[in-house]
Amino acid sequence: MTDDHNPAPSEGASPAPRTADARAADHAAIGRLAEDLVPALIAKLAASGLGEIEIGEGTWTIRVRRPGSVTPGHTRRATDRPSRSQPGHAGHGHAPGSFEGHRTARDGKPGSGSVPGSSNGAGPVAAGEATGPIAQRTPDDGPQPHRVVATSPAVGVFQPRADIQPGTRVRNGDRLGAVDMLGIAQEVVAPADGILGASLVEPGQAVEYGQELIVIEMAGRTADRSEV
Amino acid sequence: MFKKVLIANRGEIALRILRACRTLGVDAVVAYSEADRESLPVQLADEAICIGPADARRSYLSSPAVISAAIVTGCDAIHPGYGFLSEDDSFAEVVRAHDLTFIGPPANVLERFASKEATRRLLGSLGLPTIPGSNGILRDDAHALEEGERVGYPLLIKPAAGGGGKGMRMVRTPRELEAALNVCRSEARAAFGDDSLYLERWLDETRHVEVQVAVDRYGRGIHLGERDCSVQRRHQKILEEGPTPALSVEARNELCTRAIRAVVSAGYENVGTLEFLVDRDGAFYFIEINCRIQVEHPVTEMLTGIDMVAMQIRIAAGEPLGLSQADVVSRGHAIEFRINAEDPEREFRPAAGVVDRYLAPGGPGVRMDSHLYAGYEVPPFYDSLLGKLIVWAPTRAAAIERSRVALGELMIEGLVTNVPIHQALLSSEPFLEGRMTTNLLDRVGSAAFLAAAARV
Repeated sequence: MTDDHNPAPSEGASPAPRTADARAADHAAIGRLAEDLVPALIAKLAASGLGEIEIGEGTWTIRVRRPGSVTPGHTRRATDRPSRSQPGHAGHGHAPGSFEGHRTARDGKPGSGSVPGSSNGAGPVAAGEATGPIAQRTPDDGPQPHRVVATSPAVGVFQPRADIQPGTRVRNGDRLGAVDMLGIAQEVVAPADGILGASLVEPGQAVEYGQELIVIEMAGRTADRSEV
Repeated sequence: MFKKVLIANRGEIALRILRACRTLGVDAVVAYSEADRESLPVQLADEAICIGPADARRSYLSSPAVISAAIVTGCDAIHPGYGFLSEDDSFAEVVRAHDLTFIGPPANVLERFASKEATRRLLGSLGLPTIPGSNGILRDDAHALEEGERVGYPLLIKPAAGGGGKGMRMVRTPRELEAALNVCRSEARAAFGDDSLYLERWLDETRHVEVQVAVDRYGRGIHLGERDCSVQRRHQKILEEGPTPALSVEARNELCTRAIRAVVSAGYENVGTLEFLVDRDGAFYFIEINCRIQVEHPVTEMLTGIDMVAMQIRIAAGEPLGLSQADVVSRGHAIEFRINAEDPEREFRPAAGVVDRYLAPGGPGVRMDSHLYAGYEVPPFYDSLLGKLIVWAPTRAAAIERSRVALGELMIEGLVTNVPIHQALLSSEPFLEGRMTTNLLDRVGSAAFLAAAARV
């Protein structure tokens, strides 16, 4: 459960020191919000089925959002891939239009390169984080990566939504496209709020289950600010 | 011949099929679930494709996922292995509808043999003796009780679909029958999606003997001898051997000859196994047919020198058998030990975990079919088979000696395995004398069996 408490618009371009009174008022407001409002809002949100609730009072607004950023399942899929299959997915050098291209990492001699059981988990996670962009983290962001990847829900042929492109803002759960598995469209959804980044596969390309498809640059505080 | 085959299975059989494809010069793609990413068949494959999550219903049992994987990787055939989709006639039909070949019997043949109860009647009409049993599927409890009375107790309740001992119960009285019906129905429904049951008279002290057959598209069939799978625990085979010590050469010949005649007449196609119960007097009764490659096929391979999986693929590709019955010569004796990750000390509870060290035994006549390697993590989602140790020697006694050495060499550290039960078998008198019946372990209980062996 995350909450964005946006400072009131009164905070202008000049970061002048605020008065002690104003700070005390803010603290009181924060205390009231945290103790009374937030629990009530959380309960309301849980009961509502909504993705997000925002209310305002005085110069303060509070927004409560469902655990959006990264659901456990998606994190696992996006980052738990073994290192040997990373090169094909890493975003830069994917071979367009061919399934074999995606497989090149494995096409070496049996046993060469990837010794069975050599790395079980530690490698992939490290690789996933290392490829992340500018690591501007604020302390309350915790250990979350700054980019996540929408993965394929099925084995089949991928078609992205035509009306979205890199730069489009998406929310957790938004449909980004579909993988056609024997005529059954399996939705590809955004695993987190963010900005659509690079597409790792071409439209019409064959993909496997769990394959990384589209990068989402996560909407952290940095992104929020740059938007204003 | 096919250009490229999708292997829609896992573990040792995926590896076995991969090897057969390579021998035939056919490209292969290993389809795997997310839990099997680090598995040996995936590591060794030239091409592999993830078809779904660990849950088999969304991967190995999902026909859309399997067929989609075959299409996007450019395969023209699918090998289902054993278990999973291997005997699903509707899957075979969908495969065919997508212009792919199902490596196994064609869908219409699978459908003909899908019901065990109907198969029993069909092959019974073609000259195979069958165990007295209910007339058709049990409609309801009342019908079951009526049929039970007619056939006579004790009885075996059997599901019409599937195999592997699920949904099976022996009952001694009408009361036990009534009580067991619901359990068997729900087990059968869960395992095979079909809760039809039928009844067979229960035979005490029986041997399980099965005949391996192969029939090509042109109606030419051969048998490849028989295997004895009497060593079982709760209807699950543990050890298989050939030839059976239960029958004379003449009786074995008669059994095999009648089996192949009946299945050819019934229009069977591809490799298959006819299972029989043999009673104390050597009389045999047909019980069911398995329309796929079986776990214990290596016993036959060691005896005949014939690659059963390659043969299966060639038949599915429409090639003629290229062998006559006279070309099939069985030599010596072979024993297969199923090595399972389960704890014989704790009611054979399945175990999962990391294989710290693995060493396969060697020497003359010793073969290990396994997907293990040191560092491999056995996932908890699937069956507990870790591999199969197959030992061949010119005689049964020599095969038992070699087996002792081989089992002693086999090293699987980090997991509990059923190797102790095999070692106990190799010092059990009924086994050494070739007198084992299907109740050898269950009569005394596996724990008592182990303890008795430890005292010897």
